[in-house]
Amino acid sequence: MIKKILVANRGEIAVRIMRSCREMGIKSVAVFSEADRHSMHVRFADEAYCIGPAPSAESYLVIDNIIEVARRSGADAIHPGYGFLSENAAFSERCEKEGIIFIGPSAYAIDTMGDKITARKKMQTANVPVVPGTTEPITDLKEAVRVIMEIGLPVMVKASAGGGGKGMRLVKKEEDILSSVSAARSEAKAAFGNDAVYIEKYINSPHHIEFQIVADKHGNCVHLFERECSVQRRHQKVVEETPSPIMTEAVRQEMGAHAVAAAKAVNYSGAGTIEFIVDDNLNYYFLEMNTRLQVEHPITERVVGVDLVKIQIDIANGKELPFKQEDLKQHGHAIEVRIYAEDPDNNFMPSPGMIKHITEPLGLGVRHDGYVYAGYEIPIYYDPMISKLIVWAQTRQEAIDRMRRALHAYKITGIKTSIPFLNRIMEVPAFVEGKYNTHFIQDHEEQLKPKENASQRLKDVAAITAFFDYMSKIENTKKSKYCKRPVSNWKNYGRATNLKKL
Amino acid sequence: MAYEIKLNEEVHQIEMWAKEGNLADIKIDNRHYTVDIVEVEHGVYSILLDGISYNVELLPTENKKYLVNTLYNAFDVEIIDAETKYKNSRKSAEAEDSNYISTPMPGKVVKILVNEGDRVKGGDTVIIVSAMKMESEYKVVKDRLITKILVKEGDNIDGHQPLIMLE
Repeated sequence: MIKKILVANRGEIAVRIMRSCREMGIKSVAVFSEADRHSMHVRFADEAYCIGPAPSAESYLVIDNIIEVARRSGADAIHPGYGFLSENAAFSERCEKEGIIFIGPSAYAIDTMGDKITARKKMQTANVPVVPGTTEPITDLKEAVRVIMEIGLPVMVKASAGGGGKGMRLVKKEEDILSSVSAARSEAKAAFGNDAVYIEKYINSPHHIEFQIVADKHGNCVHLFERECSVQRRHQKVVEETPSPIMTEAVRQEMGAHAVAAAKAVNYSGAGTIEFIVDDNLNYYFLEMNTRLQVEHPITERVVGVDLVKIQIDIANGKELPFKQEDLKQHGHAIEVRIYAEDPDNNFMPSPGMIKHITEPLGLGVRHDGYVYAGYEIPIYYDPMISKLIVWAQTRQEAIDRMRRALHAYKITGIKTSIPFLNRIMEVPAFVEGKYNTHFIQDHEEQLKPKENASQRLKDVAAITAFFDYMSKIENTKKSKYCKRPVSNWKNYGRATNLKKL
Repeated sequence: MAYEIKLNEEVHQIEMWAKEGNLADIKIDNRHYTVDIVEVEHGVYSILLDGISYNVELLPTENKKYLVNTLYNAFDVEIIDAETKYKNSRKSAEAEDSNYISTPMPGKVVKILVNEGDRVKGGDTVIIVSAMKMESEYKVVKDRLITKILVKEGDNIDGHQPLIMLE
């Protein structure tokens, strides 16, 4: 049985994994880069070890250093979180070789699903529907152009080893083909060290719907229903919810069965996610499988009533799943928003820096998974996500109302965040009605802009506050210059008693 | 003493008539307000105005400049005192400041696409900077001459730091 887990990650997910460890009576080990000495996961863990300089390529991505810490601390398992080494087959293999349990799938499953082209072929043989496109990786520019013309525009060019929207380009016009393909390839090369790309038909007005699956090592595999992740900006998810507002019970069952078939096709074990692209008529195609815990896993946890990290650890321990498909039900509605350190009013420019003050929202049905605190400086080296806000309610409408309430109460000063932008999403009628697809943000650009029509009164309140602060500061500097410091009776008393002792 | 206050692009007259503890009488142009104003947490003010409760966050950006956040809006506010007025009047009299490319946030220089002495066209990208796994391209607006490059590829930079001098 696992007694000590090394969490090979940072930020909110490291903290979230350690929470489950604590509940299970398992010790946790944090690893951190030189830039992360002050990070919350270091404070939260039972043990913590530095694994190298700030850039992730020299710390969080160095397998040798992480294995070394696992040995030194006596950790019997490693949880990779998401990102970093979570979908690195070599890492999974290395753990196995070292006799350390990797809390995730086998190297074979990661390899097969991690390479999008191999994954496609595998899915075709498992009778899971896939999007029309290439089945061979393309490394030659001319070949890419030929294939694009064959499939017909619009197409999506994707890095073969990619994920998270990196190395991905949409090509709509013929004159953009060359530049888009080169850009996708150079991004893929920089991010993944592999410039092979593949090309697929682009589906208009698509929805991004994914299914959570869990599989144990005894051949049991179930799905934990869908997550609707269509609110995206530059292919990065912004809002996720479950159940999906467009889903029907019949399609849900069918897609769930296909998700389970997809996982079984690679002898999957652990928690994983099958992503589908879905059109307005609920035709769906396999997009990719994420062989790890997803950022948005909490909404599933809330609606299905499970702790996915606990299940991952139990599976790694060789336990059988505690439930069957027919035991699982969706209860109520959950929405998650991702809070990024970025300036939504200035082209989403990253906004690293020092958190001056933070008030996290609380109250009924609110969960906050974060890692920053007042006085913490967000480093420039890593992902700009600072937290996730998850709400749950009986109905979708109530969940939206609750999310608005929670966002209003959520205050972070010192840096710019996407909170005002998320607030505006919750107000857009198309979102409230549940009629949206992955073009939502693009299509509602106008409605998502900050409201300029502030009342005169509000403007005056803003001016008064700044002016009052300025005047108070002037007053305080004058005071400290010309007035005596206020007398402290405690200090006087202390001095007097000290004097008596002499 | 009356000050000027710049809110986004609008300039108003503002004056503190009276201040007693957390109560203040403030006049903006010809509008007169009596507010109950308290700094409840560092940088966060609670304001009661005619019984209505406002929460306002202040982020000092530079000397005498603030970013002011209300529930739905954000304003750039600058207090214009005698010193600022004087500086502004001098600035407009002098020739335009020497120009440079800088970034609004700290980051790392990924690529410099120009050399000293190059002539670039408006819209050309001159430098690529990454922060938080995002790469941003910085372009020149008009045709320019690159006079000096102050950073190297791979350098860590601060926000608002001059990177490339232009003419």
